[in-house]
Amino acid sequence: MIKSTFIIISLGILILSPFFGAISLDIDDILTLDSISNNVFFSLRVPRVIFAFFAGGILALCGLLYQTLFRNPLMTPYTLGISSGAVLGAGIGIKLGLGILLFGFTFVGLFSFVGAIFSIFLLLYLAKFLNSSSNNTLLLLGIALSLFYSSALMVVFYTGSPIQNDTLIRFTMGSLSILGYKEPLMLGFMWVLLVSVVFAYRYELQIINISSEFATLKGVDVKKITTVLLFISSLAIAMLVSISGPIGFVGLVVPHIVSKIYSTTINHKILKTTFFGGVFLVFCDTISRVIQTQSELPIGIVTAFLGGPFFVYLIILKEQK
Amino acid sequence: MIELENLKIEFDQKSILKNVDLKTDEDITILGINGSGKSTLAKAICGVLSYSGTIKINGKNIQTTPPKELAKEISYIPAKLENADNFITVSEFVLLGRFVYKENFFAYSEDDKTKVDKALKLFNIEYLKEHPLNSLSSGESALVLMAQALCSDTKTIIFDEPTANLDPKNSKTIALHIKKLKKTKQIILITHDLHLAKFIQNEVIFIKDKKLLHYKKEFFNDKILKKLYGVEFNSMVLKYD
Repeated sequence: MIKSTFIIISLGILILSPFFGAISLDIDDILTLDSISNNVFFSLRVPRVIFAFFAGGILALCGLLYQTLFRNPLMTPYTLGISSGAVLGAGIGIKLGLGILLFGFTFVGLFSFVGAIFSIFLLLYLAKFLNSSSNNTLLLLGIALSLFYSSALMVVFYTGSPIQNDTLIRFTMGSLSILGYKEPLMLGFMWVLLVSVVFAYRYELQIINISSEFATLKGVDVKKITTVLLFISSLAIAMLVSISGPIGFVGLVVPHIVSKIYSTTINHKILKTTFFGGVFLVFCDTISRVIQTQSELPIGIVTAFLGGPFFVYLIILKEQK
Repeated sequence: MIELENLKIEFDQKSILKNVDLKTDEDITILGINGSGKSTLAKAICGVLSYSGTIKINGKNIQTTPPKELAKEISYIPAKLENADNFITVSEFVLLGRFVYKENFFAYSEDDKTKVDKALKLFNIEYLKEHPLNSLSSGESALVLMAQALCSDTKTIIFDEPTANLDPKNSKTIALHIKKLKKTKQIILITHDLHLAKFIQNEVIFIKDKKLLHYKKEFFNDKILKKLYGVEFNSMVLKYD
């Protein structure tokens, strides 16, 4: 009963979301070509909802994946310093050439993508020197790198002009404002790739979730699978962060909610987590469009405001038992 | 068949075993005092610990055999299962024993599921099928672990202290099952439970001072036991017959 209600509400959110936003639409005009409503609906709202759906799915799925691979319920790709790397890249991009386009991409987007990829490779390279079994050390390494990137970002801030700094601050808050279908298509491709690979390894993940030693004993090549999944998920996160900036809490909150509703093993939760992650971000984005301040509310703030208290509630609920 | 050649194992920078050689396809019981390296040896044989030298299982060098192939040769049954998954049920868990036979990327077959049902029936634990794994008692999980190992269809099964957490009645159940399995599998039994060891009647390997002492028979007499364990024994009573 709860499950079907959840799905109906989710589908409702996905369908109705494009109708809400700063500009109120004239329902009769939406299908009239070249009307304002038609333009706003099909070139702004629909691609944005699609983009948010893919973005939320990627964030939630990566959260689930990292929590499983690193056996830490608080783990998200951001904890490993990938978003800090991306933000630092964006900061350098903004400093070097705000507004410059290269192959159709902004300097900021390219640099933050490179920043995210760089931070992943640096992490994986340093991980080679670690004892393969100690995942907590990798987590610690991620946090250390993250702090380093943040300090480097402070240098960028310190030397930046007010305009550069304002752009950078907005980037760090996350935004889903996009125009047209280029970004949704790119991210959609990444989404399909990520979901397919993770789904292909669903049974391996089911075993790894018991314990990594147990998985090895049962014939799972834990190291290989961890590397493949870490790489592909990091790539997806890098692409996402370079377009929308870091968006927190989705990867943390959604997998936990899905676990609460569906008490089942991870192989049954992959598609559900991806779907509800998408719905959650579409919902948050709808709120960010409806609540108007001077401009729309940054999406990262909405996810944090909704996700934060909910997460505290979850932790207290768990500790009460 | 287990072959160890010039095996040397270090754990936490402490030398556990040194220059160990062994070649046997008999059922063996591995004994030794706490910290002598019984479980360490077992884990090395299963490929989850690093070592130097050579270990071969049924002719396959475990360092060059892919994990999936190795898991078809040998199963390891721990004394206690460290399980982080709160949702997995007994039947789902036993099904994992079929992982190595499952086609990559595809779901488990009906045949796999039938094997699970059979194994659960064999150990009289069908009633646990839908129970969460984390809710079982020690006695129940010991049986579930055995059912899973049986589903893996391996020639060799390692039992790592199977009765360590069990009461006498459950110990007896497990002992009888192990004895039955001896007919079809190579059993490697690691234990401190001398009653169990005596009942199972394997050749005994006692780990002492980083070496293996091999007793093909005549292990269970009070003199030998006193010499090895350093305490008095007074004609051990046999419980399980």
